[in-house]
Amino acid sequence: MTLKHFILPLLLLLCHTLVAQQDTIVQLKEVIISDTQLRDFSGTQSVQKLNDSVINRNTTSLTSLLQYNTVIYFKENGLGMVSSPSFRGTTAQQTAVIWNGININSQLNGQTDFNTLNTRDFSEISARAGGGSVIYGSSAIGGSIHLNNELAFDNKFTNELRGDYGSYNTLGLNYKVNASSEKFSSSVSVSRNSSDNDYKFPGYTIRNENGQYYNTSLNAAFAYKVNHRNILRLYSYLFDGERHFSRTLAAPSRSLYDDNNTRNLLEWTGLYSRFTSRLKMAYLQENYKYFENFANDVFTFGQVKTFIGRYDATYDFTSKLKLNAIIDYTQNKGEGSDISNKKRNIGSGSLLLKHALTGRFKYELGVRQEISDAYSSPVLFSAGANVGVAKFYTLKFNASRNFRMPTFNDLYWQGSGNPDLKPESSCQAEVGNVFTHNGITLTVTGYYIKLRDMLRWIPGNNGIWSPENVGKVTTYGIESVLNYEKKFGYSHITIGGTYAYTVSQEDGSSNQLMYVPLHKATAAIAYGYKNASVYYRHLFTGEVFYTTDSSAGIDPFNVSSAGAEYTFKLLDGCSIGAQVNNLYNTEYLNVASRPMPGRNYNMYLNLKF
Amino acid sequence: MKFNKLVLTLLAGSLFFVSCSDDDDNNAPSGAYDNGVLVLNQGNFNSGNASVSYISNAFAVENNIFSTNNQNLPLGDVGQSVGLEGNNAYIVVNNSNKIEVVNRYTFAPVATLSTGLTNPRYIAFENGKAYVTCWGDGTITTDDYIAIIDLATNTVSTTRIPVAEGPEKIIEEDGKLYVAHRGGYGFGNSVTVINTVNNVIVTTITVGGIPGSLEEENGTLYVLSEGYPSYAPAETAGSLTRINMANNTVISTTDFAGTTHPANLVIEDGALYYTVNNAIFKGGLINAVLPTTPLFTADIPSGTGLTAFDVEDNHIYIGSGSFSANGSVGVYSLTGALQQTLTVGIAPVGFYFND
Repeated sequence: MTLKHFILPLLLLLCHTLVAQQDTIVQLKEVIISDTQLRDFSGTQSVQKLNDSVINRNTTSLTSLLQYNTVIYFKENGLGMVSSPSFRGTTAQQTAVIWNGININSQLNGQTDFNTLNTRDFSEISARAGGGSVIYGSSAIGGSIHLNNELAFDNKFTNELRGDYGSYNTLGLNYKVNASSEKFSSSVSVSRNSSDNDYKFPGYTIRNENGQYYNTSLNAAFAYKVNHRNILRLYSYLFDGERHFSRTLAAPSRSLYDDNNTRNLLEWTGLYSRFTSRLKMAYLQENYKYFENFANDVFTFGQVKTFIGRYDATYDFTSKLKLNAIIDYTQNKGEGSDISNKKRNIGSGSLLLKHALTGRFKYELGVRQEISDAYSSPVLFSAGANVGVAKFYTLKFNASRNFRMPTFNDLYWQGSGNPDLKPESSCQAEVGNVFTHNGITLTVTGYYIKLRDMLRWIPGNNGIWSPENVGKVTTYGIESVLNYEKKFGYSHITIGGTYAYTVSQEDGSSNQLMYVPLHKATAAIAYGYKNASVYYRHLFTGEVFYTTDSSAGIDPFNVSSAGAEYTFKLLDGCSIGAQVNNLYNTEYLNVASRPMPGRNYNMYLNLKF
Repeated sequence: MKFNKLVLTLLAGSLFFVSCSDDDDNNAPSGAYDNGVLVLNQGNFNSGNASVSYISNAFAVENNIFSTNNQNLPLGDVGQSVGLEGNNAYIVVNNSNKIEVVNRYTFAPVATLSTGLTNPRYIAFENGKAYVTCWGDGTITTDDYIAIIDLATNTVSTTRIPVAEGPEKIIEEDGKLYVAHRGGYGFGNSVTVINTVNNVIVTTITVGGIPGSLEEENGTLYVLSEGYPSYAPAETAGSLTRINMANNTVISTTDFAGTTHPANLVIEDGALYYTVNNAIFKGGLINAVLPTTPLFTADIPSGTGLTAFDVEDNHIYIGSGSFSANGSVGVYSLTGALQQTLTVGIAPVGFYFND
């Protein structure tokens, strides 16, 4: 492996790129992934893929990566604290996070905290916009975030060690090793992050007290080729984090939150000519402890253990017609200081079809039915088409029905849970336009989502709050993603931008839903010359309201960052980089009463050997 | 090139969106808040949006009067209660662990007490001192106390009176403090009597589960217990306990029917008022029999709850709301005719008559 091979991709891929869906069978033999549906059944929707060079230019937080590079809005409780997305104007429970094909949203609160996943642990992160419940189950309404690890049998042995140091004593360490032969492949990543996180609240005399955190994560993927027909794989992800929950502008804090999550997936793939069989078993465990006062050993906790058994069969009638059937059994066992101990069983069956009718017209169909002892689920469907109208223009259509199941907290919270809840369900449609010309890719997608049986906690008898299926919400908007890339001589320029216009209103109200900005935009520009590169990025977030009656809002803000990187010819490549975040020292908040930091700095050293 | 223009347009557009955001209303505060009622609005936990509204006797509303008279500083996080004493209002802000002291008639700032108060709840006054019930850490059952404030210097004394778990409402009568132990995160069922001369607990009186309200009238202490809730190990109905304050003995205990959970006891002009969900009941003070039919039922929009209740002179005041939108105050006649519907801050939690 020569140095050139390392530098080139770094320079080439400064910004995210939209990646067209690639042919499956050829791909399978080189790089293997577990989330094959992302590759095979997403051709009528928009998938934005963030590769490792984009990941490397961001801080380790998944929040920051997606906030600066996609249309997704984040509600972050101050830097590094609890962070939840709003994808296409939906709630945090209506975005699914998929780790190697497995839905890892919390069973307790139905959402993923995007500050409990370290981006450097994954080789590829994708944002798939729009409905995906037919494939991924609960929560894939606004869209889904996919965290994947690619494995290849390519006789390589590479190591990568990265160290970051930044303001507020923020430390990051990541070590990755990839080792493979023709029979065996492995990819292991270990991360450690910590920060005092005691930034001064810009414009105030107080600091972000009690905001310190540390976390350690391990992500490992192994594949073993038993013979040319059979491959065994194991994926494991461990995350252990301890965060103090920081103060707000108005209230001090002494609280502490521990996250301990483990995810394991074992997969046996059988390749039999036109038929591919995948047997998957997953065991997930999520565990939190909340201390009101970190100085005392008194805490509340919640824990869910999840077992998943899944059989996934694909039959390729021709290279143009693919049928995929999936049956899945999931059992969740939850316990905690505030929820009743409960076991929940969910079974589901899905059928997915992809057909390239002509070279220019492809369509995809999907249907899924779930059966659960905890709630009743509607029949889900998805139908979409991809039409190559012209060489530079592709048109995509998709319509689907999706759902979000009630969580353990909704169903079983002691004294408040409502065991009779229905899932939230949505009917939605979108039209996507993809223009490609001369290195420019522009995607403009319009969508409409009608959500019913929205779960909301409301006060009932005796002042006890409990969840009910009360709301109906209509969401529509336009999202656009632009990419441009050009090389001339030793120079290389990339430009990326996103813009989202989102209207999300409860039926009977003209008020925008809380924490959904009407406008959000990002822009990034990068310029590389030989071994050096500089980049600049910008985020605009429009006003959001933190009351349902739009009586109180958070001001819109513009925040920018800039960075530079130089790669030396040392070992297999040694890069040093520096970044300035919040370049203009903007005073801004994502969440009421929780200021974000002013100008701050980060530098890093990345060694490949 | 075109793409450059597009990016620049996006950037320029984003600047436009920022610059055209509305400024908040510039209404100058009136600075005159006597002859009316102060409404404390709890706000949403951790959003820092507690506030005080003022309703004049002519029912004109002025919202957010703490901020507008205090350089637009926020009041704090989770407004809990207000004590009126002398010329001052003492605003207890629970999650901010502080008490804001302002002039009750102008809301001009006097002092901020922010040390020695952990989870402060309610306040009472006696002989130049204020007594504040404090939970300490909510999850610890043994660190609850009454904080003592010297009103002359506005300082929190290092002397504390340790009490049982979850002290809530507190009233002072004849040199003694009566503290209802609602129980914090747990389930309380007692009233502690404290002598303010030596800060010693005189006695502890057992009452019904979850004593939520205390009232004193003619030497009798009325304790309205809500009863253990449905999520307690054993649910019970609420009860009304009458205590002779001369000797701290229980005169009578009247249980409510079934699993009725009453709240918001108010004694006004010789009558006793309380609420059960959105229904308002009125009964006699002496009569041991509780009314069976409500005086009236307040019209509370779905998705919101009754959050505050009081009776003063010829009016019944009912606050309602959620934690994510401005709340509402309904002013009713003593027979339950709705006279005014007024918009106040988020989750109105108490009325304080400022005459």
